[in-house]
Amino acid sequence: MLMGQSAIAWRMTVALILPLGLEAEAARSDPSGPGSPDHRVVVEICEFGIPEDREWPDSFPHPDERYQADTFGFFRIPHRYIDTGVRADRSNPFLLRAEAEVIVPPGRHRWLLRARGASRLYVDDELVLTTPFPPPITDGHSPIPTDFLDLGVDFRFAPPGNREAWTTIESEGGPSRVVLETILGGRRGASPLRAEPGETVVAWSQEGSETFLLVSPDPSRSVRYTDQGWASYAEGEEARLRRIEAERRAIAFSDQAAEWEARREHARRWLASTEEIQVPPLPEGYEAANAIDHFLAEAHFAAAGRAITGGSVDFPTEIRPILERRCWSCHRGETVQGGLRLEDGDEAFAGGESGFPAVVPGSPEESELYLRVTSADEVDRMPPGGVALSEDEVRSLGRWIEEGASWSSSRPPRRMGPLAEDLDFLRRVTLDTVGVVPTEGEIRRYLDDPVESRRTFAVDRLLDDPRWADHWVGYWQDVLAENPNILNPTLNNTGPFRWWIYESLLDNTPVDRFVTELIRMGGSLRGGGPAGFGMASENDVPMAEKGIIVGSAFLGVKLTCARCHDAPSHTGTQEDLFRLAAMLAEGPITVPASSSVPKDTLRDLGRAPLIEVTLEPGSIVEPGWSFPQFIPAEAVPAWLPCDASPRDRLAALVTAPENERFAQVVANRLWARLMGGGLVDPVDDWEKGELSHPELLRYLGRQLIRGDYDLKRLTRLIVSSRAYQRAADPVLAEPDQHYSAQILRRLSAEQVVDSLFLAVGKPLRTEEINLDLDGGRPIQSSISLGFPRRAWQFASTSNQRDRPSLTLPRVQAVVDMLQAFGWRAARQHAVTVRDESPNVLQPAILANGTAGVWLTRLSDDHGTTTIALENQPLETLVDRLFLRIYTRRPSPEEREAIVGHLRIGYADRVVPVHPDQMGDRVRMPPRYVSWSNHLTEEADAIQRSREDEARRGDPPTARLDPDWRCRLEDVLWSMINAPEFLFAP
Amino acid sequence: MIPIETRTERRNFLTSSASACSISMLQFPLARGEGIPPPIGRADHCIFLWLAGGMAQIDTFDPKRVGDPKGRLPGSAYESIPSAVPGVRVTRHLGRTARVMDRLTAVRSVYHDTIDEHAAATNLVHTGRPTTGTLTYPSIGSIVAHRRGAEADGVPPYVLIGFPNVSRGPGFLGPEAGYVYLTEARAAPAGFSRPSDVTVRRQEDRERLLGVFRGSIPDSGPLEEYDRVLDESLRLAGPRFNDIFRLEDEPASLREGYGGEFGQRCLLARRLVESGVRFVEVSHNLGFLNGTGWDTHNEGQLKQHLLIEELDAALSALILDLERRRMLDRTLVVIATEFGRPAHFDANGGRGHQGKAFTLVLAGGGLQHQGAFGITDDFSASVEQDRVSIPDVHATIHAALGIDPSATLQGGPRPVPITDGGRPILPLFG
Repeated sequence: MLMGQSAIAWRMTVALILPLGLEAEAARSDPSGPGSPDHRVVVEICEFGIPEDREWPDSFPHPDERYQADTFGFFRIPHRYIDTGVRADRSNPFLLRAEAEVIVPPGRHRWLLRARGASRLYVDDELVLTTPFPPPITDGHSPIPTDFLDLGVDFRFAPPGNREAWTTIESEGGPSRVVLETILGGRRGASPLRAEPGETVVAWSQEGSETFLLVSPDPSRSVRYTDQGWASYAEGEEARLRRIEAERRAIAFSDQAAEWEARREHARRWLASTEEIQVPPLPEGYEAANAIDHFLAEAHFAAAGRAITGGSVDFPTEIRPILERRCWSCHRGETVQGGLRLEDGDEAFAGGESGFPAVVPGSPEESELYLRVTSADEVDRMPPGGVALSEDEVRSLGRWIEEGASWSSSRPPRRMGPLAEDLDFLRRVTLDTVGVVPTEGEIRRYLDDPVESRRTFAVDRLLDDPRWADHWVGYWQDVLAENPNILNPTLNNTGPFRWWIYESLLDNTPVDRFVTELIRMGGSLRGGGPAGFGMASENDVPMAEKGIIVGSAFLGVKLTCARCHDAPSHTGTQEDLFRLAAMLAEGPITVPASSSVPKDTLRDLGRAPLIEVTLEPGSIVEPGWSFPQFIPAEAVPAWLPCDASPRDRLAALVTAPENERFAQVVANRLWARLMGGGLVDPVDDWEKGELSHPELLRYLGRQLIRGDYDLKRLTRLIVSSRAYQRAADPVLAEPDQHYSAQILRRLSAEQVVDSLFLAVGKPLRTEEINLDLDGGRPIQSSISLGFPRRAWQFASTSNQRDRPSLTLPRVQAVVDMLQAFGWRAARQHAVTVRDESPNVLQPAILANGTAGVWLTRLSDDHGTTTIALENQPLETLVDRLFLRIYTRRPSPEEREAIVGHLRIGYADRVVPVHPDQMGDRVRMPPRYVSWSNHLTEEADAIQRSREDEARRGDPPTARLDPDWRCRLEDVLWSMINAPEFLFAP
Repeated sequence: MIPIETRTERRNFLTSSASACSISMLQFPLARGEGIPPPIGRADHCIFLWLAGGMAQIDTFDPKRVGDPKGRLPGSAYESIPSAVPGVRVTRHLGRTARVMDRLTAVRSVYHDTIDEHAAATNLVHTGRPTTGTLTYPSIGSIVAHRRGAEADGVPPYVLIGFPNVSRGPGFLGPEAGYVYLTEARAAPAGFSRPSDVTVRRQEDRERLLGVFRGSIPDSGPLEEYDRVLDESLRLAGPRFNDIFRLEDEPASLREGYGGEFGQRCLLARRLVESGVRFVEVSHNLGFLNGTGWDTHNEGQLKQHLLIEELDAALSALILDLERRRMLDRTLVVIATEFGRPAHFDANGGRGHQGKAFTLVLAGGGLQHQGAFGITDDFSASVEQDRVSIPDVHATIHAALGIDPSATLQGGPRPVPITDGGRPILPLFG
């Protein structure tokens, strides 16, 4: 049927090799297996029996997985999932075999094979095209490719790191069996390469057509293999692969569903066997939406009765912050310096070991606290070693003591504030659940709902929205110190376990299971599994680092200082931390000298000792549970097998319902994020924290357990309360003790970036976050984090070599904006509360930064360009801009000012432009720079020109009159630069 | 006033409680060097020239017998020449610097034992400490910014001319001590120069419209706090700060004297410190002169002399320019790099990495310069006299800038000595 005829010199010495599949055909038992004529490509992955050293296997390897595709176009393979559904690595290299029956029309057709790995294409069992194994790359001296195959006016040039071949085959017409085989991954020396398909494609251009199409068994599926065609295909295919992956995770979990159901049952029994928290009755004059409001109202009512009057200095707002910042790290909690506690009046009046009262009401001169903070003697002065208290702070303290040093407020509590306006609520709750401002469509739908139920409906929709996952990844990246590096490892780099976090959130994995998987550290190390959490490069005791993270994230225990010595102000000892680390390491750990404080640095300078080293370097520490105060080590739940590994034991002790601390810490984290401050603050260090509403906290903890550890259910409870829904008081910096009003919360860096791009309608487009585009480097030293679509997907672009050729200018532009607003490019340590204080870089980057230029330049793909072209009164356009950017309507003054600026030229703003002239870029071969070829002047020049391009931004649209366009750009600029945008109302 | 009696009692308490203590006491030393108080210099600025990749000391400031790359005979790649300081020789490609050698000191006896890998060593030289698992240390630039702030209003304390990375960052000191950065000498830092299509007129329109939204901001609270920095940033993006970047305002002959892109960066650095910036790091990252920058493996060695000559032109021009403006004594210039390179050549005539003996250079800053300090062996492979650690270099920089090198920083709850036990190089302080 086929008359093969190669249009290029064909070097194959073997004219006919049977595809690997044929030999195994007979052995196959599944009759609906490969080649089934349902218009699908059957894809098989074979992991075992593939030679490591750039050779094809002799015989057909057994397929380990199978899935289906629409076409022969591969840019990634769906992940493999193990355990409860975490990503796992495949063996490397592995073989991909894709097969389909394709209807070939009669005629002479051009066939193209393109692949990263070695590949072979068979048509009707005849080998028609091959590509070689990838040539080894150099570390910078490989040439920048100039010679690109070009088979037509819309031909897609080969992206980096692919090989290609083509031929012309004459066909009589009819069905043909098409088989593609390719080997992914491989080695460089002893190190595995990333097993990526690059752009593995079989495409054809049928006689009479210049355009190539992806070969597909489905005659109704026509995918143009052009730049545009591929981009839209890839988007759809990516969505399809994600669905396949979600199914795979569900299947993986089903094996363990019974075990988890047993845990749920255990938790329910525990709840039934322990005393319920009674929701207090609502005092008269208060309103409540749910139990949360009852707890807060009761406390508010009690405080109103207690309030004293008289003093001019208010303890909670004026003195407490000073103590909190400057004193409590050493003089509060179970372990304190000098035996002195300053948490309440009685303690301060009693004083510490010195016997002198720290505070003598009415007399600053007799109060040790006052004397020590004002002492001129450096040895004497408090706080030790740091900056002295400011004059204002000293004055406040003095006056407060003079007025009698009351530890209660001198003022009655603030009145409970009113509920927020509907649109303010929508903006707030949308940011708090999906991380971006509401779209115009969402706003209209909300306003179309009945007044009495629109808030509930909106919450329902938002909790069901997959963007929930995007919103929460950034939080856990910080708390768990997710810190991948796209180039050689630096301090505390981890694997990119962001992908596991993301998928867990997408699946709404219960938080106890999430923590269990994290502590098990299973699955893929560099491909996005929780194993990546287990890595801490250049760290002398990685598991101690992980112990610190687990302690602060899920138990509210700060163990940072315990890394090298017993903490001066925390109960946790170095041995506690190392026992925990040994559980994570599943074996004893030796304390290295580098994780201790050498004795010779000790000096006697007249102060009481601050720290102690009780664990000598060289000590061997066995695994053990260090927190019997939360749950005794022997209280392991019945569902845990007796031979469980130390990690499983640890996970069980952390997450068991008997360990009430866990559920409360998690509930408090959620509360703090939604309410602007924790019921215990700091949320990651309870020993130094103050608990403001103990019963409410216990109630929330139990509600989390009752709801099967589902964070969305707890979110629904909190956002449904009146407390959450109150209007923000714009002058409050932090919530008062009774949450009588919301505060204006600064958007997180990720929310700023994602919301800006969404609100103005500019697509977020950058380079791939990868410095090894052609895939020649070992996976240990180069990973790809893909093309980011949301802010959490970014990472440090630092190459530590200062080489212009190794830059990613568009990624850097977004990173600059993220960093200015408190995001960390390198997360070397866990952080729960970022430094989000205002600094001059923030407005500067928004106003003049590169990403700021993209946001305000009205290019053809800009959403504001689109609405500006619509036929509507100018006032309508302005109202829509306000809805999109601020989720509100303009005030009369605002409307007048903006309309006034845009009126001139509005009627004639639209310039007729033929669609062909729009957005058409000249097709250019990709002059790419990758690690393999970055060490040339040319590479520097190419990347510098990319930086210039990024800085210039996309060209403005020709469809709007330039003068009027500039006016609209200026309006857009002023709206996104105004402080209002950055705060959740 | 505090009654004297009370004070005495309290003092007694402090001493007795300390002596009664049985457990060992930890305090970081205030000063090392047997009771000698640390020297304190009077410089106000630092220009920190960063030679990324690892400058080969043996081909620059610590020349030895000439070897042969082709024959793989260890030694310098180039002949050396005498300098203005008797007995101190440098490579012949540093001819202009040799003539001003009395204004600088090549510290030839620097060493570290960090792994000879770029990222780790870059971090060490910037922060003065090996990385540790529990704390991110601030860079020298951030520490200086933190201790001394900007000298004038309307400029940031710390400017980086190069690419951002963690090693250059503020670590535990927080964003206030961070840098603003630019990657080329021809534009103000990211965020402080307006896009080219925004004319003065448009900017006026923009700020007028912005005023519509700013008008309703309350007198206190988060919006108002942000509004204040917004004000400040609009000012910084205005002409005063941006004029610093107008290198074209300098005489053409001076600009030419500084040389290519790196020289222009040095000139910009001078303009920045002149305007009140405290610390400027200038990265010499121009790989295209020889392909590899200072990381002269293999073929990178072939055109290394072009890099050295560019450094020579820029450094000597900077020193003389500062001197003419009577700023040299107030401006410490540092040439820093992550490690040096060995005397022997690799198979392609280049050099590997060497941290155990290499050269950093100090110039100006009011120090007593002596051309060179410290002695290495015949192959510049190990230090023979006057070993200088990276913490010592940091202590010297701090001391020269009037910062107490025995001071303590606050790393969260933990006191952190400003250097890791470093001592200033005393002979440089006269």
